[in-house]
Amino acid sequence: MARLIRTEKEVEGRFEEVWIVVEEDPLEQWPEGPLSVVGRDAPRQDGSLRVRGEARYTADIKLPGMLHAAVLRSPHAHARVQRIDLAPALALPGVRAAIGPGEANGLEEEAGWAGAPVAAVAADTFAQARAAVEAVDVEWEELEVVLDPEDAVRRGLVTGEARRSERGDVDRAFAEADVIVEGTYRTQTVLHNSLETHQAICEWQGDTLHVYISTQYIWGIRQEVAETLGMPEDKVRVVCEFMGGGFGAKNSPDEYTFAAAELARRTGRPVRCALTRHEEHTSAGNRNSTIQRLRAAARSDGTILALEGEFFNSVGWSGWSSPTEGPMRALYACDNVRTVTHAAKLNAPPMKAFRAPGFAEGTFGLECLIEDLAARLEIDPLELRRSNYAESNEGTPYSSKNLEECYRLAEPHWERRHEVRARSDAVWKRGVGMASQIWYGGGGPPSYAWVRLGSDGRATVITAMQDIGTGTRTAMAQIAAEELRVPLEKVDVVLGDSARGPYASISAGSSTTPSMGPAVRAAAADAREQIEDIAEQRGLPKNTPVEEVVGLLEEAQILGKGARGPNPTGMSVLTFGVHVVEVAVDVETGEVRVERVAAIHDVGRIINPLGASSQVEGGVIQGIGHTLSEERLLDPETGRVLTTSLDAYRMPTIADVPEIVCEFVDKPDEHLTNLGSKGLGEPPIVPIAAAIANAIRDATGAEVHELPISREEMLRALEAAKEKERRGAPAAV
Amino acid sequence: MSEVRLTVNGGEHVIDVPVGASLAHVLREELGLTGTKIACNEGHCGACTVQIDGVPRLSCIMLAHTVEGEVTTIEGLREHPLVDAFVRADAVQCGFCTPGQVVSAAALVAANPEPTREEIRHAMAGNICRCGTYPKIEEAILSWQD
Amino acid sequence: MELLRPSSVEELDGGVPVHGGTEVVPLLREGLLAAETLVDVRGLVPRGTRDGVIGAGTTLAELEVDPSIPSALREACRLAASPQLRNMGSLGGNLLQATRCWYWRLGYPCRLHGGDRCHARDGEHREHAIFANGFCASAHPSDVAAALVALGARLRTNRRELAIEELYRLPDEDDRRTTTLEDGELILEVELPSVQASVYLKAMDRRRWSFPQVGVAAARVGSETRIALAGVAPIPWRIESAEDLDKVTPLPRTEWKVPLAQALVRRALAAVD
Repeated sequence: MARLIRTEKEVEGRFEEVWIVVEEDPLEQWPEGPLSVVGRDAPRQDGSLRVRGEARYTADIKLPGMLHAAVLRSPHAHARVQRIDLAPALALPGVRAAIGPGEANGLEEEAGWAGAPVAAVAADTFAQARAAVEAVDVEWEELEVVLDPEDAVRRGLVTGEARRSERGDVDRAFAEADVIVEGTYRTQTVLHNSLETHQAICEWQGDTLHVYISTQYIWGIRQEVAETLGMPEDKVRVVCEFMGGGFGAKNSPDEYTFAAAELARRTGRPVRCALTRHEEHTSAGNRNSTIQRLRAAARSDGTILALEGEFFNSVGWSGWSSPTEGPMRALYACDNVRTVTHAAKLNAPPMKAFRAPGFAEGTFGLECLIEDLAARLEIDPLELRRSNYAESNEGTPYSSKNLEECYRLAEPHWERRHEVRARSDAVWKRGVGMASQIWYGGGGPPSYAWVRLGSDGRATVITAMQDIGTGTRTAMAQIAAEELRVPLEKVDVVLGDSARGPYASISAGSSTTPSMGPAVRAAAADAREQIEDIAEQRGLPKNTPVEEVVGLLEEAQILGKGARGPNPTGMSVLTFGVHVVEVAVDVETGEVRVERVAAIHDVGRIINPLGASSQVEGGVIQGIGHTLSEERLLDPETGRVLTTSLDAYRMPTIADVPEIVCEFVDKPDEHLTNLGSKGLGEPPIVPIAAAIANAIRDATGAEVHELPISREEMLRALEAAKEKERRGAPAAV
Repeated sequence: MSEVRLTVNGGEHVIDVPVGASLAHVLREELGLTGTKIACNEGHCGACTVQIDGVPRLSCIMLAHTVEGEVTTIEGLREHPLVDAFVRADAVQCGFCTPGQVVSAAALVAANPEPTREEIRHAMAGNICRCGTYPKIEEAILSWQD
Repeated sequence: MELLRPSSVEELDGGVPVHGGTEVVPLLREGLLAAETLVDVRGLVPRGTRDGVIGAGTTLAELEVDPSIPSALREACRLAASPQLRNMGSLGGNLLQATRCWYWRLGYPCRLHGGDRCHARDGEHREHAIFANGFCASAHPSDVAAALVALGARLRTNRRELAIEELYRLPDEDDRRTTTLEDGELILEVELPSVQASVYLKAMDRRRWSFPQVGVAAARVGSETRIALAGVAPIPWRIESAEDLDKVTPLPRTEWKVPLAQALVRRALAAVD
C-alpha cells in the first residue's frame, strides 16, 4: 500500500527533506550468502554489444537532417559581454541558426570562468559550426579575476554560507590532551574525463521534445528541461540507452542541452551539441581542490579526544560545497568535533559531483592526520582505528556496520608489512599503509520497475533507469531471475527511455543498485505471485517451473509492478571499508609505484561479485590517478585551463595498475529494503589516496601533504624528512 | 572534395571528402561504422584505434587521404575470440574505449599469441580506460584462447 | 586544403610535409599550423635500417625492436609516446616535434609564437626547462633526439649533412625557431657511429605514455662518454659531465627536476661504464 511520508533524501552527501509516496516493502530478505543467481558471477548482459561496438551511444546517434552545434565560450575568466554580433556567424556557409546570451539557459552575458558558455551556432557540419562560433563578434568588458580560495573567503566571495558543525567541548579537549597533531593538507582539482564527452541531441516532434543525452539521470533531465522550458514533463522524452562514463558529471542537462533544444526549435531540425575534449576539460565540471587545516587531540592511551578542521572548497563560479568535513565528523568515535567548511567562489570552472565528492578529499586529510597521530602515540595504526571505533553516527544507530569485520579481513594484508619493508634496498623503499572508508550509498525511494512475462517463458524488466557502465542492467536481471526462479539468460532488461518505463533513480551517489534493486525484486515478486495463482487454479504443484506455467498463456501476459520501499527510519545507512596499500618509492628520483592494493568493503549484499570487483578495481585505479598523476592546472594570470588535453592531464594507463585484491563482507543490511544491498560505485575511491600516502610514510618516513603526489611533492617530502632527522627528531617510521 | 579509396574490413569504398578529413570521421560518418569511437580527437586516448595492415593506429589523427593498406575496424573483428574473452572477464564497463581496446589486443595476439603481463601492459598502454577495466583487460588477453 | 604526393625530392615545392601525421594533424586542427598544401613525403624518405644508417621514415615501433641499433635509441623509442603513436610516428618527424608547453599549445602569444614574453616563466611552469630558459622556458619533448645527441648521430637531409646538434638552435629575439631546418628541407637519413655502450633513462609521471619529465641518454666510446638530456631545455641538451648540473637555472617550480636529473645522470653513467 502506498503512503505519503516526509523523509530525508540523500544524494552525494547532500540532504533534503522531501514528501514522497512510498510503498510498503513486505518481502522478506533472502538468506545471506550466494543464492542461485544473486551473489554469483554474471558477465554483463550487454557486454557483447559494447565490446563489439554495436552499443549505440549518444555519440553514435545520427538523426535525419541533424545539424551540429558549437558553443562560443569566454576566453576570459571574468568578463561581461558589452556587445555581441551574431551576424558574421550567420553569414557563413552551412550556418542555420545562432543564439546569444539569454536565448538558451546557460548562455549568459557575465562569464564567470574561462570556458563559460556565451553563444551557440548550429550548422550542417561541426566544422562549419566551429568556424562560425569563431566569427561571432564580441566586445568584452574584463572584470576582476579571483583565483585564490582563502583570499576569496576573506573577502566574502563565497557560493554560500560557511557550513559549521560542533559537538562537545573542543577547546577543553585540546587543553586536556596528551598529544596534539596538526597538519595542512591540499587536494588538487581533477577532471572526470568520461571518454564520451557531454552531449545531447534535441529534436522536436510537435510539442514533444526528444532529448538523446549521455546522462546519469534520465528523470532529472526530463524534470529540469521541462521546468526550464515551461513544458509539462510528459512532453519531454529522454533517451540514454548506453552511456560512455559519467562519474558524477552528467547529472544535469546544462548549456549544451538547452542550446540544442533552442537551435532545434529555431531550425525545425534535430541538433546535436557535443563537447570537445578541450571543452570537457574547461566546462564540464571537476572535483574541486581543497585546503584542509586539521588538528587532532588524543590521550596517550590512543583515545581520540577531539578533532577540528577548517576546510576550503574551491567551488568555482558555481556549484555546491561538498562534504569535505564529512569523514572527520563520522569516521571515528569522538565526543568533541568542530568543523567549518568554506565555499570559495572563484573565477574558475564550476565543480560537479565526482565519485564520493568531499569524502575522497576529506579522507585523504583525516586519514593522514590519524597516521600522524598513531606515529606520535607509537600505536599501531590499525589498533588506533579499532580503539576509536564509532558505534553510532553522532547518536543515530547504523542500519548496519561491519567495519570491524573489514578490519579483521585486513589483518593478513596488514601483516605483510614486515615482509614488504624487508624487501627495501638503498634506492627502493617499500612500505604498507592503510586508510578507512565511510560514505553514503543507501539509495532511497521513489523508484519503480515493471516485469513482463509471456508464453515464451522470457521475462522483461522494464524501468527507465540508466546503466552508466557499472553493470546495473545485469544486476537487475539477476535480481529478477532470482525472484522469478528462471535462468538468468531468460531475463532481459529494457531501460534508458523515459517513454518506455516508470521513474527510476539517479545513477549517482552509489544509489542505483540499492534504489532500483528492491523495486525490481518487488515487481518480480508481484509477477511470481500471479504465476503461482495461475498454477494453483490449474491444479499444478507449487514448484511447477515458471516456464511451464506461463507456457499456458498464449497471448496473455503476466505484468508485475514494484516500487522501492522506504529507508529505515531513525537509522544512518552508510558504507564502510578499508584499504591496505603497498608501495615502493625510489628515494632518489621520487618515483612512487603502487604495488598492491587490498580493498575490503562492506556494502551489504553483493548481487554480482564479478561486476562488483570491476567497480572496486575501477575506483581504485581512478583513485591512483587522483593520487599520483592527475591535476587540472589553471594559468594563474588568466585563469584559463592549461591542461586541456590528455597528454597534459594524465590518467592511469594499464601499465600503472597494481595487483588489486577485492574482498567483501557480503552481509545483507537487515534493515535496508528487501535486498539489504548498498551501493558500491563510490566507496573504493574514498580511502585510496590516504592509504597510498600512509604507505609512503611507512616506506620512507616522508610525510606527504598534497595531492597529487608528484615527483615534486615526493622529493620535497623526502627532503623534509631528511631535514627533520638532521634536526634530531627521528622521522616516524 | 577529393576522392578517397579505402579497403575496410575487406570491402572497397570510394568516398569524396575534403582533404583533412580523418579516417575516424570517414568511418563513422561516411561508412556508418560507429564502433570506432572518437573520444579526444587528437591522438591521446586510443578509443579510435583501427588496424592498418594489422598494425594499430589512431584513426582520429590519420588523414583519410593518406591511408595506405587495409583498414580493420572493430566491425571486422566481431567474431574474434577476444570479444568473448572480454565479456567473460568483465573487461568492459561503460564500453566507450572497449572497441579500441579489442582492436589493439587483436593486433597484439596476432603477433604474439601468448603475451606476458609485461608485454600486454606495453602493447595496451595507448588505450585509456577511465572506468579502470585494466585488470580485467589483462585477464581477457591472457585467457583469449580458452 | 590539397594533398600532394611528389615522386622525388626534387619535386618538393612548398607546402607542409606530413609523414606519420601524429604532430602535424593535431597542430593543423588546433590552428597552430596553417597549410594550403600538405605534402605526403612518405614516398621520399627512406625507411629501414642498414649498416648503421637509419631511414628517417622508419617508425619508432620498428626501431624499438631493432637489435641492430644502440640500446639508448631502442629504449628511447620503446618509452616514447603510446604504441599506436609509435606505429605511426617516424624517426625524422619525432626529431622535429614541437614542445608540449601548454602556453604554446594553447596559442598564447609567447616568444615561440613571435610574442614578447614567456608566459611559463611567470606562470605555470612545473614541467618546464632548467637550462637555457631565460628567453623561452619550454622543454623539448623528444626522447629520441636526446638519445641521438648522446650517440653523436649525423643527419643527411636533401640539402646537407650535419651533426644532430646542429639541427637544433635555441630561439632568440631575431629567430624564434628551435631547429635549423629550412623550408623544403627534409631529414632523409640518420647515421649512427658505433658506440661501446649506451643507455636511455626516463622519468615519467605514469609508467607509459608520458613525455619525459627528465630523460637522460648516455653513450660511451672508449673513455669518452656523451650525455644528453630531454625535457630540460627548449632543445635537446648536451652536458659535458654530471657537474654541468650545478650550472642549472631552474624556475621556482622546476627545481625538483635538478635532483632528478642528477640521479638519472649518475645512474646512466654507471650503466655505460
